[in-house]
Amino acid sequence: MNVLVVVAMALAAISSLGVVLSRQTIYSALSLVVTIAMISVLFLLLNAQFLFAVQIIIYAGAVMVLFVFIIALLSPDAEDRPGRDWRAVVGLIAVAAVTILVFVAAGNGVTYNSKGFRATQLLGSCTSLNAGPCDPYRTFSYPVDATNAAGNVQTVAGQLFTTFLLPFEITSLLLLVAVIGAVYLTRRGVER
Amino acid sequence: MIASFWTALVGGDFWWVLVLKSAFLVLFLATAFAYLTLAERKVSARIQLRYGPNRVGPFGLLQPAADGIKLFFKENAGPSNRDRILFFVGPSLAGAAAMLAYAFIPLGTNSWFGYQFHWDITHANVGLLVILGVTSLGVYSLFLGGWSANSKYSLLGGLRSSAQLISYEMAVAFALIGAVILAGSLDLEQIVGSQQHLWFIVLQPLAFILYFIGAFAETNRLPFDLPEAETELVGGYHTEYSSMRFGLYFLGEYVNMVTVCSIATALFLGGWLPLLPFHPFDWIPGPFWFLGKVIALLFIMMWVRWTLPRLRYDRLMNFGWKVLLPLGLLNIVITGAIVAVRA
Repeated sequence: MNVLVVVAMALAAISSLGVVLSRQTIYSALSLVVTIAMISVLFLLLNAQFLFAVQIIIYAGAVMVLFVFIIALLSPDAEDRPGRDWRAVVGLIAVAAVTILVFVAAGNGVTYNSKGFRATQLLGSCTSLNAGPCDPYRTFSYPVDATNAAGNVQTVAGQLFTTFLLPFEITSLLLLVAVIGAVYLTRRGVER
Repeated sequence: MIASFWTALVGGDFWWVLVLKSAFLVLFLATAFAYLTLAERKVSARIQLRYGPNRVGPFGLLQPAADGIKLFFKENAGPSNRDRILFFVGPSLAGAAAMLAYAFIPLGTNSWFGYQFHWDITHANVGLLVILGVTSLGVYSLFLGGWSANSKYSLLGGLRSSAQLISYEMAVAFALIGAVILAGSLDLEQIVGSQQHLWFIVLQPLAFILYFIGAFAETNRLPFDLPEAETELVGGYHTEYSSMRFGLYFLGEYVNMVTVCSIATALFLGGWLPLLPFHPFDWIPGPFWFLGKVIALLFIMMWVRWTLPRLRYDRLMNFGWKVLLPLGLLNIVITGAIVAVRA
């Protein structure tokens, strides 16, 4: 299984490089699709099946389709690039800095607190869940039930409709406004 | 730990069982594709009072083999100003998305000598969402194939198909929610299991009809085959394809048909459950019941294709957004209300 993690991560990294480096816009967009798909595979390997499905349906299946659609229709020409671009240097330094910071943060236990991540907190202490030692730094050592509970539909829906009901409703209102705006903009023969 | 994760993912099979099952599934779907083309030609011929292919082998049974050989040995031509990479990627994706979805379709289990054998390859507790997601990726193959050929007919076909697939995906998903509410789960095995006493087609007739209509659009078949309307677009998104690359698009369409019919079987027709829950019906193993129901639905799809004329494109869109979608919503509200009142 660790092989699968490495393969998915490597493909995600390579394809995200492709997003930045490819000269044709459509290849950038398609590389982003591969990146999204690989990240969803990582979700699956963490046993967050709901996140996996949602990531595929919404990002790969809907949002990126529209991106590809528009890029293909506008058919922008391939980019012309100067040989040396100072922005590339700044970008590289920024990437290196963020990478180092993330490693430092993870090493100091910022990403996971002492009780493991939120998945286990939702269910109480993680030793009560039958399987093995509970080491917060070894993500894959979590019992299947615990990780599953964080990613499954009932937990997500339960949180959405109780704790986070207000933000959820506000988001839906926002989407409704966007839909109405889009419909208005595309109507023909209306005085604006 | 890895073992227990593995168990959760693949249902406790040994890895070689998995490889064998996957290989069998791919071979089975490819064969199903070959013989579906023959069946389609036979059904169309009978509906039009013809004989259909009957020269190659008894009853024309070797016709698919002859077609396959022909496709493999034809020249792999394409327009000179095509986008070479995407022109290759498009057809390769076509079959992959449909076949991948089939790994999650529940086919039932049998116990032999204390070993629980799952006929399906894997199992996800959000199986229905996974299948919807994976099949939604099929749109890339149609659109990229149409765009990369650099031909106006292909581009129009690709555009139409993408717009159509995205629109009808909504209607299809809304229709499926009715069955999900009744079963109280997105797990396909549990959805089938909760139809033990009564198939959901009895409780959800509207949802089944909405889904099945949407399925015609999802598979680009008449009366919704606008992406390849030959009277206006020559051949639609695959106009410029020849030889086995064209064959792959063909394969994608037929495997997709099998997939949508299998989803309908699992959600509305009781999946692997026998027609009546007693002897001698339950002597026949689950997968055969499943196969029988899928074949019945496939026959209906062919029957419709050779009976109905093609819709106009704006009518198709209007129908999807203004009829199927509101009816699906209505079905969700009514089903939800009834379930809530009875709970």
